[in-house]
Amino acid sequence: MSDFPLLGVRRLYKNFGGVQAIQDLNFELAEGELLGLIGPNGSGKTTAVNLITGFVKPAQGEILYRGRDITAWPPYKVVRLGIARTFQMVKPFYQLPAYKNMIIPLYSPRVKQMTGGKYGDRNAVALDLLEEVGFERDALVAYKAASALPQGYLKRLELAKAIALNPDLMILDELFSGLSLAEVASILPIIEKLRQQGKTIIMIEHRLKELFRIADRVIVLNFGQKIADGNVADVMESREVKNAYLGTE
Amino acid sequence: MLANTFVYGFVNSIILVLVALGFNLTFGISGVANFAYGALYILGALLSWVFFNTIGLPYLLSVLCAVVLTAVAGELMYRFVLLRIRGMVLSEVIATFGIGLATLELFKYLGFIGFEYSLPVFVDTSIEIGQVVVDMQRVFIVIIGIAMAGFLWFFTHHTRTGLRFRGIAQEERTALSLGINSDRVAMLSVSFGAAYAAIAAIVILPLGTINVEQGYSVLIKALAVCIVGGLGSTGGLVLASFLIGYGQTITVTYLESHWVMLVPLIAILGILIFRPSGLFGEQKELEERI
Repeated sequence: MSDFPLLGVRRLYKNFGGVQAIQDLNFELAEGELLGLIGPNGSGKTTAVNLITGFVKPAQGEILYRGRDITAWPPYKVVRLGIARTFQMVKPFYQLPAYKNMIIPLYSPRVKQMTGGKYGDRNAVALDLLEEVGFERDALVAYKAASALPQGYLKRLELAKAIALNPDLMILDELFSGLSLAEVASILPIIEKLRQQGKTIIMIEHRLKELFRIADRVIVLNFGQKIADGNVADVMESREVKNAYLGTE
Repeated sequence: MLANTFVYGFVNSIILVLVALGFNLTFGISGVANFAYGALYILGALLSWVFFNTIGLPYLLSVLCAVVLTAVAGELMYRFVLLRIRGMVLSEVIATFGIGLATLELFKYLGFIGFEYSLPVFVDTSIEIGQVVVDMQRVFIVIIGIAMAGFLWFFTHHTRTGLRFRGIAQEERTALSLGINSDRVAMLSVSFGAAYAAIAAIVILPLGTINVEQGYSVLIKALAVCIVGGLGSTGGLVLASFLIGYGQTITVTYLESHWVMLVPLIAILGILIFRPSGLFGEQKELEERI
């Protein structure tokens, strides 16, 4: 076990023109933790994730992964360290069948590093992973082009691609958005299983009821600033959080 | 005459496929419209000529060196110019067109003009196809053109790098999040496109001489085929090559040969008026504008 936290974010700032998207964001994440990152629309949650995963460069501040400075690293290098993410607006490789979408992460340098170059039968691994996230093997849905899949399957595919990278830290950006209650209920056990496997997870969510069932800790952002950080009960009792969400004292 | 039109139309169409494959590959993967493509085509031919005639290497080795060096030229162009402006479409066009123009004019300045600048045919003989006499170089053009299109299909569908190419082409953001270095893949696509341009030149130019001005007409032909077929679509490229190729052959046979260059230009004009995204194009926003 390393002496450093898995992830450290220090004095992080990001502005888009005159808009301060992230202001002085600081937090640490221990290995195995499930952190909920919440806040009203436009509070900077996705920007924070984009900064951590290299899709956006910070104006100031540091991002440390296992004590190593990864600030402004390009996304493909961040992935190789073991940080995988999903996107709120999923964009799979639409012209490829679902299982072929899985082959690209299975060919990635990260997986090569983890398997020592011994990939095995990638098609079989891809189908197993898809089954794990709820693609019924008998229904042949894994062989359909991604463009023909409904939103529920696209979200599952997005999760499966992240799992395929065998990451230590998974960042799930609004995985539940656009899903029915039943679909969310079927995905929750998958996340629980990932936790049992020792994965560290950051979840950005608006579906707070479901998030609070599984989160160890919650950080609340508002106008790019952290306004609360702690366990679910304490955070939701915070006056500032109630103000941010409900607009009342 | 009909058999003649059929056979030479077919050869002409494959020539267009060969000419456009590299341009289409680069655009389809990286989104870069490489307007220096014609210059890379001539560079490949001239390098091959220099290695063979000036340095005295065996022809096969000369061809190999020329293709590799043209690919390196494409890589350098990406690394030192396109990397900084990729995604800024107007800047890409201005930069690549400028590089192409400067390169072609430099060749003229260096004196690469004249009948002595010609590449040897692979085999100096001819065969008869249905009472039509065809020289072996044109047969090689057909064989190599089909082989190169087939290789490209195999490469993009059945190799790891090819799968990365398709990933970047379809969703760059998603590919990045899965650990693919999109700039490296884009650089490879420009480099591969340049190599394809060199191979096309080495196969096609033995039919005549290496004329620097052909750099411009090759660019127009590649653009015409890709615009008519739909930028980035390989199926569209092949169909457009046959439409324009047979159009040119019929024009030469039944009209006058000086009308031939009008065929691709009319094809571009027609497609831009009636279906601006091309026959198999997927740029729906262009369709919505008409």
